Amino acid sequence: MNWKKIGVIIGREYAMRVKKKSFLVITFITPVLMGLLMVLPTLIMLYGTSEEKGQSVAVSDGSGIVFPYLESDEHVTFSNCSGEDEEYLKKHLDSLGYKALVTISPMDSSKSVAVASFSYKPLGTDISDRVRDAVDEAVEDYRVRSYNIEGLADMISSINYSSSITSYTISEDGSEKLTVTGVYRAVAIIFSILIYIFVYSFGGMVMSAVINEKTSRVVEVMVSSVKAIDLMIGKILGIAAVALTQFFLWIVLTLAIVVGVNAFIGMDELLGSPENAEQIMEMAGGQADMMGDVMAASANSEMEAVISTISQINFPLVIGSFLLFFIFGYLLYSSMFAAIGSAVDNEADTNQLLIPVTIPILAAFFIAFASIDNPESPLLLWASYIPFTSPICMMMRIVNGIPSWEIWASLAILIVTTFLMMYLSAKIYKVGILMFGKKSSFKDMWKWLKYK
Amino acid sequence: MDLITCSHIYKSFGAFKALDDISLDFPEGKVFGLLGPNGAGKTTLIRIINRITIPSEGEVFFRGKHMTDEDVEKIGYMPEERGLYRKMKVGDQALYLARLRGMSHSDAMSELKKWFVRFGIESWWNKKIEELSKGMAQKIQFITTVVHRPKLIIMDEPFSGFDPVNAQLIRDEMLRLKDEGATIVLSTHNMQSVEELCDSIALINKAHVVESGRIDDIRHKYGSNNVEIVYSLPSGDAPVLSDGRCFRVLSDEDDMGRHTAVLEVDKGTASKELLSEIIQNVNIISYKELLPRMNDIFIKLVTGGTAAVNRPAEADSRIAASQSEE
Repeated sequence: MNWKKIGVIIGREYAMRVKKKSFLVITFITPVLMGLLMVLPTLIMLYGTSEEKGQSVAVSDGSGIVFPYLESDEHVTFSNCSGEDEEYLKKHLDSLGYKALVTISPMDSSKSVAVASFSYKPLGTDISDRVRDAVDEAVEDYRVRSYNIEGLADMISSINYSSSITSYTISEDGSEKLTVTGVYRAVAIIFSILIYIFVYSFGGMVMSAVINEKTSRVVEVMVSSVKAIDLMIGKILGIAAVALTQFFLWIVLTLAIVVGVNAFIGMDELLGSPENAEQIMEMAGGQADMMGDVMAASANSEMEAVISTISQINFPLVIGSFLLFFIFGYLLYSSMFAAIGSAVDNEADTNQLLIPVTIPILAAFFIAFASIDNPESPLLLWASYIPFTSPICMMMRIVNGIPSWEIWASLAILIVTTFLMMYLSAKIYKVGILMFGKKSSFKDMWKWLKYK
Repeated sequence: MDLITCSHIYKSFGAFKALDDISLDFPEGKVFGLLGPNGAGKTTLIRIINRITIPSEGEVFFRGKHMTDEDVEKIGYMPEERGLYRKMKVGDQALYLARLRGMSHSDAMSELKKWFVRFGIESWWNKKIEELSKGMAQKIQFITTVVHRPKLIIMDEPFSGFDPVNAQLIRDEMLRLKDEGATIVLSTHNMQSVEELCDSIALINKAHVVESGRIDDIRHKYGSNNVEIVYSLPSGDAPVLSDGRCFRVLSDEDDMGRHTAVLEVDKGTASKELLSEIIQNVNIISYKELLPRMNDIFIKLVTGGTAAVNRPAEADSRIAASQSEE
């Protein structure tokens, strides 16, 4: 192998792709979208509920028991219009300064009421939630009172119970840590999907590049200057460098966006500090009563658990393994893609030949997905050792924490297979790229393997 | 001295034998024609010399030494299936290929500039290949083949697809490079350019070399002693030329008293002997040896044939006609 020439090839393949507009667009748009996705829920929570202040709602309370439960605040003022003409109110909502009319029917024999709202624009969920909660509470209280049992209300509130499980994982050194298993699953599947997308899209890029060289007939000019295997390796490594560049730019840009938005809005609000969680609960629920406190407290501890879980994930290990499994998974698949590209004259002919490449990679993807809830499943265990599925499936297990010898063993199998596959692919590639005007089959490729 | 020596080259693809014991020498500083029908193994041989494919058996020597990967940089190869990266700029493309041929960036740059000035195409440097016409792209292709000053230039069907102007340009450049000391191997079906350009040839058919040597020697070898006589009759009623002691008349055409006859002369007959016999009967206007065209030799050797060469005159006129049509 002539590394000086491979370097020249890598340089061209890299520069050509990085300078493309589509590369820049994808590289810069994706983190913006990802960043938005991360901060959007908080933004909606923060600003979505309290955009308008001083809205006023007319309430026609036929039951006579609900209105006292409706609490007005800076956002919504409820006005009691019971007894007024509902039709008149409906027609003159705007001129009377009401955003909506809420009608509550008189209590029926089953001690229920019907509630309806009328407005020009659909009623916001914040207002309708508040009305519904007030109605529920009023009716429940009424029903409790109707039993005429002294102290029943207190009894019921002392009976009410809501539980939450605080899960701790015991690490090897025996210390207990607060965890949320969902966080592991999310992080695991994100890395698995990333490997899947990267291997598939950049492997496909290698194939297109090989086909392109064949159709433009430049390939024989190329292989008269460099060895076919050098050309293949240069191409594969050049595109790998593009992938890594994109990956690092994504990480850096996503972090920059998150940090930037945080600095603008305030770190605490976004990350959900305890006070903030409470604040959000208050805004959303409206009631700072005992229930609200309980919910705020549980949300608070959940947030704490999420943060605690994230901080427990061994990110240097996860990122390090991600890079290794990505690189060798990519090398394994891209060499197969290169061999297939060499055997055809145009992209349309690849469909059939691609089946043995797409089946294992899709299988890996589905196994990873199916094992989200059960990272200890035997299927995932096996798939994490089979080199064609291990890059995707091993990531699922690494995030959940496995002995390091398993990682090394799986990686070793992958690396050996990769080199073997590159050797075989190079043999096919070497013959295939010089076969013009012929649609080759697996039988042909098998024959080429035996050429000296 | 021979620049390239191919010694007992064999190459098989599975059960198919592409080359079967090929031994050839390409003399330095000459133009060598590699002839043969499609599928004879020419391209395989060229690829072996370029070290694109490895021979199953046999050796290639470069100036008498075993050829190495480094020697490939002394070769400029323009394959029959040629092309350039369509999306790449002309200058970047030429630089890229030159650097892959082992040139340094600055060396490649200065050498390319010279060629671009020579062809008057400096303004193309920043254009993309896909913006160029086919003929323009071919010029770039030629430049990238020879920019690294190769000792050996191998061209597979160099004139196919070139318009006559560019074909002439390439022909002139090839001869100029030859004068500067380069050895040129030309693989082509265009026999006219073989006769014009080549010093010696090898004809490959069905994986074997069936003929090789200097082009003049080969034409004489297949000449079969035919001569063309143009004559007039001494008097109106005199008989036309008929078979004599040492020759037979193959054809005789009368054009207003001016006869053109093709004679098959017995082997070992000196021209003095032949002429002295003919001159007794007719007035000789011109006399020339009929050498077969490379085209006829090619067809005879490839078809294993009896056909063309025995009747050179007819073949000649037919070929001349077909070539003028080209």
